[in-house]
This record gives sequence, structure tokens and C-alpha cells, in this order.
Amino acid sequence: MSFILGVVLFTVVIGIIDARLPWPIARPSRQR
Amino acid sequence: MIAGHFGFAAAVKGRAPTVPLWALMLACQWLDVVFVVLFAAGVEGLTPVAGAKAGAYGASIIHADFSHSLVGASILSLVFGALASLRYGRRSAVIVGLVAFSHWILDLPMHRADMSIMLGGAGDLPKLGLGLWRYPLASGLLELALVLGGAALYGRAAHRIAGGDLGAARRARVCSAAVLGAGLFTLGLNVLGL
Repeated sequence: MSFILGVVLFTVVIGIIDARLPWPIARPSRQR
Repeated sequence: MIAGHFGFAAAVKGRAPTVPLWALMLACQWLDVVFVVLFAAGVEGLTPVAGAKAGAYGASIIHADFSHSLVGASILSLVFGALASLRYGRRSAVIVGLVAFSHWILDLPMHRADMSIMLGGAGDLPKLGLGLWRYPLASGLLELALVLGGAALYGRAAHRIAGGDLGAARRARVCSAAVLGAGLFTLGLNVLGL
């Protein structure tokens, strides 16, 4: 249970809150 | 180890702000996600050590010769990094792939010599693991240090990135508290064998 709860909390809940912070954006590698 | 991996990923976010946190968090548990799938399929499994209750903290021999073998972990980390490269570019993909592999590195001191080198335990090579789980207090404290350190590094970076924006600063405080709280909550559940 701790594993599933942890994954949901960190990847979904905290991931959504964190995505609203003004972090610099990773850019995809340039296409040839 | 569960919470310690999240703590490490939070610390990496503090140093690599362009990589999305959710990707780092999923990467740090990628090997265990695959383990859960293989466990459900009956390919991998867990055996409690003698005298231990099933699910007790650190008291299992883990039969994960695919997801947690050195070769398997390397392949899975490469796959995760390759998937990340499709969306986030080469640098972020390398970071995400390394975080995925960090799971194996961090598991090495914890496991009780049950980590194979080759896929499926081929070659009858010695199994790896330093067995810190024999000492639940020490392994719990190591995980706690990773959670506290990761939350501190993440929080510092989040507050720096928010700058003078009051809304962003508030969200940074909420998110930092959530990283710390979720880490402690996950560690607590794990230590209690839940």
C-alpha cells in the first residue's frame, strides 16, 4: 500500500502542484 | 526502500529544474513499477525472512531477477530515458534515465544479497546486496535522511524559482510541504509494514 500511495502522491498529486511553478521548460532535441 | 527513492528524486529536481518532477518521481520507482507488474504475473515475488511477518519493513527476500538485476535495471533505465527523450530532449532524458538507475544503486545497500547481475539470474553469479535491512533502525534512518535532504533541496530550488511572485511563492511552500509530508507519510506506512 505504501508503494502505490507513494507513487500516486508523488507523481500525480505533487506532480500537478509542481507543474504550476515557473520552472524553466525542457526543450526537445532539435530535429535534423 | 520506497520513500528514500522519492527523496533522491526530489533532490535531483532541485539540481535539474527543467525536468518535470512527475517524470523524476516515476523514474525513481520505475524498477518497482515493473516489479509490481511481474509480481502480479507470477514472474517475480517476495519471501519473508525466517520469523518475519509478511510485508514487515525490510524483512523480505525479493526475487526480482528481471526488474532488479543489474542488466535488467540498466535496460529498463535506458528504455525510460529513451521514452523521456521523445518529449524532453537529450539532457533531460539522460537525467531521467540516471534517476531510474539510481533505484538499483540505492537498493544495493538495503537488499539481503538477492539482486542478480544477469537477467533471470543467468550464469549462477553471486547475488548482490549489503543487507542494511537487517538493521531496520539504520535503514529507516537512511531513508529519513534521503527524504529530509531531498525535501530541503527541492524546497530551496522551488522558492528560488518562485522569485518575487507571491502566488508562485505560496505554491512553492505548498509543494515543498507536500514533498516532505508525502515522504514522511510513505516512510511511516512502509516502516509499519502497510
